[in-house]
Amino acid sequence: MRSRFGLQKAGPRNRSDQRAELLLGALACVVLALIAGMIIFVFEKAWPSFSNNGLDWFWPWAGGNVDDELVHIFESPSDPSQFVYTMHAWPLIYATLLITATAVVVSTVFAVLSAMFIVEFAPEGIRRLLEPVVRLLAAVPSVIYGLIGILVVVKFFSDHLITQSARDSVAGVAALNGFSWGVGALILTVMITPIMIAIVVDALRAVPVGWREGSVSLGVNRWRAMLTVSVRAARPAIVAAAVLATARALGEAIMLSMVTGSVGFQPNPIDGFIFFVEPARPLAATIVDNAEGLSVVPFAQTLYAFAAVLLVSAAFLSFGGWYIRRRLRTYTLSPI
Amino acid sequence: MSRKGIRLLAILAAMSLIVAIPAATAQAKKKIITISGSTSVYPLEIKLASKWIKTKKGKKFGFKILQGGSNVGISDVSKGRVSIGASSRDPANGDPGGLVFTRIARDAICMITNNSNNLGNITQDTIKKIFLGPTFTDWSQVPSSPISGGIDPVGRAATSGTHDAFRNIFLGGSNQGSFVAAKSSNGLVQQTVQSDPRGIGYVSLAFTSGVNVVSYNGVACTLRNAASFQYGGVRSFYFVTRGAPVGGVKKFLGWVTHSNKANKIIGTDWIPLH
Repeated sequence: MRSRFGLQKAGPRNRSDQRAELLLGALACVVLALIAGMIIFVFEKAWPSFSNNGLDWFWPWAGGNVDDELVHIFESPSDPSQFVYTMHAWPLIYATLLITATAVVVSTVFAVLSAMFIVEFAPEGIRRLLEPVVRLLAAVPSVIYGLIGILVVVKFFSDHLITQSARDSVAGVAALNGFSWGVGALILTVMITPIMIAIVVDALRAVPVGWREGSVSLGVNRWRAMLTVSVRAARPAIVAAAVLATARALGEAIMLSMVTGSVGFQPNPIDGFIFFVEPARPLAATIVDNAEGLSVVPFAQTLYAFAAVLLVSAAFLSFGGWYIRRRLRTYTLSPI
Repeated sequence: MSRKGIRLLAILAAMSLIVAIPAATAQAKKKIITISGSTSVYPLEIKLASKWIKTKKGKKFGFKILQGGSNVGISDVSKGRVSIGASSRDPANGDPGGLVFTRIARDAICMITNNSNNLGNITQDTIKKIFLGPTFTDWSQVPSSPISGGIDPVGRAATSGTHDAFRNIFLGGSNQGSFVAAKSSNGLVQQTVQSDPRGIGYVSLAFTSGVNVVSYNGVACTLRNAASFQYGGVRSFYFVTRGAPVGGVKKFLGWVTHSNKANKIIGTDWIPLH
C-alpha cells in the first residue's frame, strides 16, 4: 500500500503513527460533526420562518416593506399561536447580491492586474515593500474599515458627490446622506482585494518559469506571455481566490452595518448615478443590527432564517468553485 | 505510558493548577454580581458599581458587567443567567412573568440636528409628521426651519430601548416609518446627524456633543429641565431582577436607590429619582 506521498509504508505499522492517525482522524470527525450540528441547529431554528412564508420569503415581487415586517415580528404577542412570521426578505437578499457581486468583480480585476505587476513587472525594491503591505492589509479587522468608512468615505460622498438636486429628487423616499450600498461595495472591494492578490501572486509564482520563457522565446512580449500563459495557467487559483473573497464578502456584517444606510431599501439601477448612493442593508448587517431582539422567539427564528440563507449560499459557493476549477483543469496547473 | 507522556501530563497538571488557584481564591473572597442589558444604562451602571465596591458593604462583592441591549438583559435575568438585567425601556406585555423592575434613574431623549441647522424648537406634531408620515419631507415645511431641502430622519432599530421610548413618548405609541434609517446604537445616530446637514435624529442626553440639540415643545433638552419634569422626553432606567432582589443584589439596589453618593453619581449625566 502506498501513502499519499508515494512512500512505501514500513512493514509492521508504527505505533506512534497509528496513534497520530487515530487522533487526527478523531479531530477531523469532530470538526465535521460541529459543522453538521451547526447546520442542523440553524435550520431547525429557522424553519418556522420559511414554512410560514413559503416562496414569498425569496420572491422579488412579494411586496411589503421588510423593515415594517421586522417590527411586526418583533412585536408579536407572547402566545405562540399568534406569532407573526410574515417576512419577504428580497430587498435584503438583493442588497447582499448587489454589494457582494460588485465588490468581487471589481476586486478580481484589480487583484489579477496587481498580482501580475508584483510577480513580473515590479522592481525588486517595490516588490519587497508591496508584498508585506498586501498581507498586512488582508489582516486588518473589518471594524476599522467601518470606522474609516463612516468618518471619511461616507462624508466625502455626502459632501462632494451627491448634489442637492439629487437629494431633493428622492426626499421622503430615501436619504442620500452618503450611507449607501456604493460606499459599502467600495470598502468591501478594498477589504477583499488583498486576500485575492496574495493568493493569485502565489499561483502565478507556481507557474513553471519554462512555460513563460518558452513563449517569450517565440517572440511574445512579457505582457502577452504573462496574460496568455501565466494567468491562463493560474485560472483555477483565481477562481479559488474569488470564492474565498466572495465568502468573506457575503458574511461581512459590521462594516456594512456601519456604512450602508440601515434601511431595507431596494436601490434601483434606472435611477442613474443616484443608484450608487442609495441606501440598502444586506442580510448579515441585518442580523447584527437586530441581534438585540433574539429574546423574542419568532424574531430570533427570522434572524436564523437569514443566517440559514447565508450558510447555504456559502455552501453553494464552495461547490460552484470546485466545479469551475474542475472544468478548468485542462492546460492549467493542477488545482490549488 | 511512555516517559514523555508522563512528563506532558505533569506539565499540563501544573499549568491547570496555576490557572485554577487564583480563580478559586478570588471566588472565595468575593461574590460576583452579574449585570447584562441596555447599552444606554451601561455608562451609568459602570460608575455605580465601581463606586459601590469601595463602600463597606460593597467590599465583599465584585461585578461582571456585559452589554447587549434592554431585551437581552431582560431575557438573561428571566432565565437566571445574570443577577441583574439593565433595561432602558418600560415593562412590556411580552416580558416573561415574575420580573421585578426597580427604577434607578431617569434619562432624557433629545432631538438632534446637524450643527449647520440650528433649529430652535420642534413640536410633537412636527416630529410625528417627519417620523411617521412622511407628511414633511422637506425642511422648508418645518416651522421656523433655517434650512431647506429634503429631511433625512435617523433613528434606532426596532429592538432598541431608545426606539421603544421614542415611540411611546414622542410618537404617541406608533412605530416610526420604515424610511427612517435604523441605526444600531446611540453613537451611530449621533455620528450620522453630525455628518449630514439635513439629518434629524433622537439620542440619549449623554450623546449630544457635536450636534445641535433642539428644544422639544418649547423646552430645552437639558438635565435641569428634565429633572424638574418640564421637559417631556424623559424615560426611566431600570434594574430588573427575577423576583424581589435578595442578598448582595438587594444591598446594591438599596444603595443605588437610597444613598446620597449614588444620587450624586446619577446626577452627573442622568436624573436622580429624588
